[in-house]
Amino acid sequence: MSKNNKVPVKKKFDRKLFFHRLRYKVIGYNVVDGIGSRIVTYTILIAISYIFFYPLLKMVSMSIMSPNDIINPEVDWIPEKLSFLNFKAAWYVLEMPKTLINSIWYSGTLAFFQTTVSALTGFAFARYQFKFKKFWFSMVLISFIIPVPIVLIPRIIIFTSIQSSTGIKLIGTIFPQLIMALFGQGINSAILILIFYNFFRLIPTSLDEAAHIDGATAFEVFWHIILKLSVPTIVTVFLFSFVWNWNETYVTNTFVRGAIKLLPIQLSSFDSVFGDLAPKIPGQANVNRINEAYKMAATLISIVPLLITYAFAQKQFIAGIENTGFKD
Amino acid sequence: MRKTKKTTGRGKARRDNIRGYAFLAPWLFGFLALTVFPLFYTFYLSFHDVKLTALGVETKPIGLDNYASALLRNIDFTPALVDFALMEAIYAPAIVLISFILAILLNQKIRFRSAFRVIFFLPVIVMSGSVMHQLMDSGSTEIVWVGQIFIFQIIYNYSALLARIIEILFQNFAILLWFTGIPIVLFINGLQKIDRSLYEAAQIDGSSSWQSFWKITVPIIKPIALVTTLFTIVQLGVFPINPVYGMIQDAIYNTAGGLGLASAYAYIYSFVMALIIGVAYLILRDNEPVPGAKKKKEEVLYE
Repeated sequence: MSKNNKVPVKKKFDRKLFFHRLRYKVIGYNVVDGIGSRIVTYTILIAISYIFFYPLLKMVSMSIMSPNDIINPEVDWIPEKLSFLNFKAAWYVLEMPKTLINSIWYSGTLAFFQTTVSALTGFAFARYQFKFKKFWFSMVLISFIIPVPIVLIPRIIIFTSIQSSTGIKLIGTIFPQLIMALFGQGINSAILILIFYNFFRLIPTSLDEAAHIDGATAFEVFWHIILKLSVPTIVTVFLFSFVWNWNETYVTNTFVRGAIKLLPIQLSSFDSVFGDLAPKIPGQANVNRINEAYKMAATLISIVPLLITYAFAQKQFIAGIENTGFKD
Repeated sequence: MRKTKKTTGRGKARRDNIRGYAFLAPWLFGFLALTVFPLFYTFYLSFHDVKLTALGVETKPIGLDNYASALLRNIDFTPALVDFALMEAIYAPAIVLISFILAILLNQKIRFRSAFRVIFFLPVIVMSGSVMHQLMDSGSTEIVWVGQIFIFQIIYNYSALLARIIEILFQNFAILLWFTGIPIVLFINGLQKIDRSLYEAAQIDGSSSWQSFWKITVPIIKPIALVTTLFTIVQLGVFPINPVYGMIQDAIYNTAGGLGLASAYAYIYSFVMALIIGVAYLILRDNEPVPGAKKKKEEVLYE
């Protein structure tokens, strides 16, 4: 009797404990612990990574396909015959070494000025309690939200009228964008200012005070003390600014208008340029029809410099965004 | 003597004013001349017939004619604007939600964490208008064609609108994911600043991890979600998946409509953008102060 009595009780207890343990193993008390949730986590992350890479993988795969492979429905990823002629053609149509060098100095110059003014602005907000500081700070953030087209038209008018009144050529040169960068109105300036602002606030003010006692001016403090301590941040901001200016085509197109051949702009007009240059492509007699392979080869060529930059500086990039500490 | 005079009272306030504005000057000048003035000038131009000649700008007031052209006479602009608004309404929440989920997954103690983060951030670097255009053009971004999937047909029979939303969502799913790069980092950063002891305390009080998630994580993350959403909305606007940008640029170059029409386009577009941002703000603003969250938020703010 007593035995019979005990068994169901024990069974009930056991089942509860069993499920409890199972639950712990699979889900865990924290979502982190269980095996089940780990498998789910890895599956999601790997699947998502695959989708992230998919366009890039497809790009690489298509860029080495011959025209026959492109049309062949049986060829999905791996071409039957490797063809590097696409790269040759794309290299020629993109006017390669020249556009690459142009893009580097163009983005580099803009990034230099943008970094400088972002540092000055970030320093003003981080160090000094001036009047209407909060107002101007919120204006920095709001300037990020303002759509570019709404300010672009008067900017065109401003620069064209300066050009026609002074005779200095501005449209078709780097200067309109350089002036915008120099006065803190370049691409994503608000983010760059925020990165500097958050970093400068971490530097103890006792350092500047000590320097002030020794007779240093505010600019000397900024130049000799603050900037020396901020080299990693300066590098990060410069890299971001460089990449964003590199990838920017809307404003650049408006002001440069093809006068300077830049890599992303050359890529965006690749289809039409290809048509013009196709008969002249060396070593390929009858490349007169554009296909995806050429486009993808060109796209790949245009992002390789960025990929190399990222490979060397991925830590700086991610840390840079972490340091915005984005807030209102 | 000089030292004490400088670091106290009104002397310091005055010195801070001068120095602050000295460092701020370049940005301030640029902001006033190249952003504030253009804002008003575009508004003025939008009511005028504008011709850019060798001698300068010629304007002739024509009232609301540009707006009438944009909204009534041009048959492409309004549909493009509706498409854009629809895309924002579908993409922005999806991007924020996906990046929040990925941030939670990446915030765990898992292997290859930094490798995943590097992968997810990569698009931020390579994504430009022209690259995106070429990839979409060659079909490299279409992973599945949802229209062919059986479940999709069922959904379509059930609700055409829902089916359309799903179609928009998955058509360029890879590109949608490419927008999560920066939001993921912002969310991870926010998650890491939450004090672990809050969860421990909740667990002692008998809260399940699900409850802790909704009562601790979500309220603390909400301000970051707002910033992330605004960022995403802005970012979605500047890429060629936004048809309106291209139209405005065409209008700038088009001598017939001229800069006046382009200005009207720009203002209508900005108005729609402001509406979208306003809605996002109303949904995500901090309306219910949660005990504990308040303090945490301040810590996040001033850390």
